[in-house]
Amino acid sequence: MRLRGVGGFATSALVAGAILWSFATTDVELSRLMSAGPRIADFLGRMFPPDPTVMREIAKGSAETLRIAILGSFGAVILSIPLGILASETMVTPALFRPVRTLLAFIRAIPLILVAMLMVGAVGLGPLPGIIAIAFHATGMLAKFYAEAIDGVSRAPIAALESAGAGPLVRLRHAIWPQVAPVVARDTIFRFELNLRESLVLGIVGAGGIGFYIQTYVRSFQYDKAASVTLAVIVMVIAIEAFNVALRRRFA
Amino acid sequence: MSIAARIDDLSFAHPGTDTLALERVSLRVPAGESIALLGPSGAGKTTLLALLDGRLQGWRGRVSVLGAPLDPDQPPPRARRADTGFVFQEFALVERSTVLRNVLNGRLGRMSVLRALLGSPTMRDLEIARAALADCGIADLAGRRADSLSGGQRQRVAIARCLAQEPRLILADEPVSNLDPTRAGEILSLLTGAARVRGATAVFSSHQPDLARRFAQRIVGMRGGRIIFDIPTSELNEDATADLYREAEPMPGPGLRAVS
Repeated sequence: MRLRGVGGFATSALVAGAILWSFATTDVELSRLMSAGPRIADFLGRMFPPDPTVMREIAKGSAETLRIAILGSFGAVILSIPLGILASETMVTPALFRPVRTLLAFIRAIPLILVAMLMVGAVGLGPLPGIIAIAFHATGMLAKFYAEAIDGVSRAPIAALESAGAGPLVRLRHAIWPQVAPVVARDTIFRFELNLRESLVLGIVGAGGIGFYIQTYVRSFQYDKAASVTLAVIVMVIAIEAFNVALRRRFA
Repeated sequence: MSIAARIDDLSFAHPGTDTLALERVSLRVPAGESIALLGPSGAGKTTLLALLDGRLQGWRGRVSVLGAPLDPDQPPPRARRADTGFVFQEFALVERSTVLRNVLNGRLGRMSVLRALLGSPTMRDLEIARAALADCGIADLAGRRADSLSGGQRQRVAIARCLAQEPRLILADEPVSNLDPTRAGEILSLLTGAARVRGATAVFSSHQPDLARRFAQRIVGMRGGRIIFDIPTSELNEDATADLYREAEPMPGPGLRAVS
């Protein structure tokens, strides 16, 4: 009891200290917050009405974002199949799956925007760095999902095929794959949805897609055009989510 | 009389445990007969069968199956594993696959790895699988998904898969304990009959003396990882059976359920 009391006090002190430290060293001025209201109103006012003349840019940008998400997801699936197998305790020994899992956790820890910036530096502007960034970033999660799907299957059919003389790859193909197929399909669709949402911001760092136009219009104070593109992004996200819900229902 | 399996002074503890699941077991399994392993849960029946199937390593003693010694540290080569068929208590089917696909899985050890990976059985594989389905009385279920079947039908599929493997030794671990008494008799009759017709040896485990008596020619009594008796079925009497169960250790509490 005493220990818990001391621990509880220490935690409270730590949290309070962190908040005070953040306040003291950042100029959170009340006056700036007060004047933000009118400025946001002004900003929104200039966004309205959205300028519908940018339909061509919207179509071009959305198509590119979609292509980045599709190819990035495809790349992630290609990378996640072997990595997912190597990260599963059903298929490999701890000496192998432990380091692979650590690698995947490491990949997940790197934000997409950072990967995209590095890739723009490495291969130049355009959709290519975006595709590579999405493929890399998504693999951290997708390979983990695949490994969990493999480790979640019923072991009995695997033992049955082992007994019949099937090797590890044949067991993967005939005992594990039929069991994980719907889970893998569901996880892949889920990750595709995330990829599409996340790829919207890639344009801001020059890695292609519709984000480029939002960035351009905001920087050149064409808020009405930026508003149109933003609306298009919202519509796209809602459409993809609706599409996914329908797909997931099919695979349930 | 030839011998299907020869076991000498076999001891085994499951990895991470100290207690012996099998203790100094010696046994001869005569070829072409049906043998029942009889005993309470935790007697070591499942362990002995899995070990004969080549799926357990790290044991001590000498074991040879179908004339070839088992390596205590390595699973047997692929070609030999197919000679020993296994029927599981919980059926062990791939639930989302069709009955025919499940039975063809029994052929995987007999195909080239490439053919197995591509999932393209030969005409002969298909014929054998269909014949096994017919022998088990479920030819009409070939296209059904395994998860749509009843328990008795599932165990027929599992036996058909085992027969498709063309095994010379059939091991069955409590093959009927998940079934009602009528189904249990049918399934054991099918299993031992199919083995007899093929000249294969059948070893099945059971905790029901009545079923062992009806379908086995020899009965091996096990308790606490040891063999208590090994007798022709005609010699199984009330005393022997009572002995197996009377001196069984007290029922373990919840959470300590012994593996049968």
